[in-house]
Amino acid sequence: MSETVAITLLTLKVGALSLAFSLAPGIGLGWLLSRKRFPGRLILQTILTLPLVLPPVAVGLGLLLLLSGRGPVGALCRSLVGWNPLFTWQAAALASCVMSLPLLVRASQQAFASVPARLEHAAATLGSSPWRVFTTVTLPLARRGIAYGVLLSFARGLGEFGATTLIAGSIPGRTETLALGIYGRVQRGDDRAALGLAAVSAAMAFGATYLSERWLARSERESR
Amino acid sequence: MQPSGRYNQLDLRYRTREFALEFEAEWDPPSAALFGPSGSGKSTVLEIVAGVRRGASGRVILDGRTILDTRRGIEPPARARWIGWVPQDASLFPHLSARENVRYGIRRGGAEGAKRLDAAIEALEIGELLPRRATELSGGERQRVAIARAVGSGARVLLLDEPLASLDLPLRARVYPLFIRLRDELRLPMLYVSHDAEEVVSVAEHVLVASAGRCVASGPAKDVLGAETRAGAFRVHAAENRFSVRLLETHSAEGTALLGLASGLRLVMSSTPLPEREEFDVVIRGEEIILSVVHPGPLSAQNVLEGRVTAVEEGAGHVLVGASVSGTPFAARITRRALEALDLRQGRAVYLIFKASSVLLASRADLPRR
Repeated sequence: MSETVAITLLTLKVGALSLAFSLAPGIGLGWLLSRKRFPGRLILQTILTLPLVLPPVAVGLGLLLLLSGRGPVGALCRSLVGWNPLFTWQAAALASCVMSLPLLVRASQQAFASVPARLEHAAATLGSSPWRVFTTVTLPLARRGIAYGVLLSFARGLGEFGATTLIAGSIPGRTETLALGIYGRVQRGDDRAALGLAAVSAAMAFGATYLSERWLARSERESR
Repeated sequence: MQPSGRYNQLDLRYRTREFALEFEAEWDPPSAALFGPSGSGKSTVLEIVAGVRRGASGRVILDGRTILDTRRGIEPPARARWIGWVPQDASLFPHLSARENVRYGIRRGGAEGAKRLDAAIEALEIGELLPRRATELSGGERQRVAIARAVGSGARVLLLDEPLASLDLPLRARVYPLFIRLRDELRLPMLYVSHDAEEVVSVAEHVLVASAGRCVASGPAKDVLGAETRAGAFRVHAAENRFSVRLLETHSAEGTALLGLASGLRLVMSSTPLPEREEFDVVIRGEEIILSVVHPGPLSAQNVLEGRVTAVEEGAGHVLVGASVSGTPFAARITRRALEALDLRQGRAVYLIFKASSVLLASRADLPRR
């Protein structure tokens, strides 16, 4: 039982760090794609959608190349802080972040698009800098749609398997999250333990998704 | 030309795929109305002036202040223009209360903005609305809150885009005098967009007529709207009574003043605020005049004038009744139902009744300097 608790806590920790990684870029990219027209916008949009459609293992392979001793990010980590990011829980968080970011970007983009530009214009004529317009008008009006994206991407991140297994492995007590734990126990033939972890997974996924749908329903009701 | 004092100029060129704007006009009075049919570019002009629509070239001077001069590289962002832009939909922030809305621009407006905001809240009679959420306000309430919000931000000029368009007639009659009060008490120059000639005449001394992205006429309200414009597009029958008067007596204890017309006719108006000059113009809106075929007897309304019906003209949803009071022509606007009930016809004797507070100063420039 304590093993289940430990795995669940690790999964939540990985999910939290993944969320911390993806929050600023997710919301920022969502805003950029909804409000700005620039060359290469469509290419960026496509690249950001790729993790949703590529095999997760392929994305994991890409991350592995980046983080390995010969990859740019891995080499930088090793030479700067003498730290090997591969097969750590932080690597699991990175994999989860990359895989779930598209959901946050999409949701934020839609949330920002639903904020009328006229309100931002009005705020500007009242003396607000672009940053103040964003924090006092755009963000508060988009908050429910963004919250939906945050919860949905968090839920998606909790279940990340394919990319995580390549760069974080499945080291019990260190990188073994719920999804990895289920797979490992099924491989070992320990179906009971696998089912237990699956139940926890399902409960968490249900909770996060239910909350996100409730936010969305409320935001739709409010904007009417 | 050297800009000086309260000089105003619009010289704008703006082109999109569907629309070309080439708008040139100059005027001296602080307030002007921009009049024209929908699609004539009125709102676009306001958006360019406010700085929320970029890409126009030319020059904008309002109240002696250069706001845009693309040839000299003057094109400040909207937040640095100090212009109160009130679009037709009011654009209140829906996630805030009315109070939070009106206080939104205080950060720029500062102490002076806060002071003027208090005055605007009073003039526009929105004090009671402040605790409500912006989404709970009606059309007319939204407009007034949006105007107060602009005043609080320290706006030095107000751009009002069809502020009465979303209101029905009785509500207009109630809200419109509040705008006049605001304009006069805060001395805020306005550029007022409307397609309603009556509204235009009552709000501004100067009228610019827009048609297909151009300014086709510019001049004093009574000259421009009385006749057909060069565009030939508008013929206006304004139920607007504008008279040159002379101040005869002031009864400050009663709060009234007695005015005399050249024809000898006397009118009573509220004495606050009164101009410094002895001769000035006043306006009485056609809807403010009550008609009666019998003498009403003692009444709270201070003006009861006896006249004769000279014309009955049926318009869309209302009737204009022309009446002559000892040679002075008046126009009253009534409903068709009232016309039938009173059986008004040319030549009939009629009493014109209106309150002292319905006699308004026609020109902002007449107000005493404080």
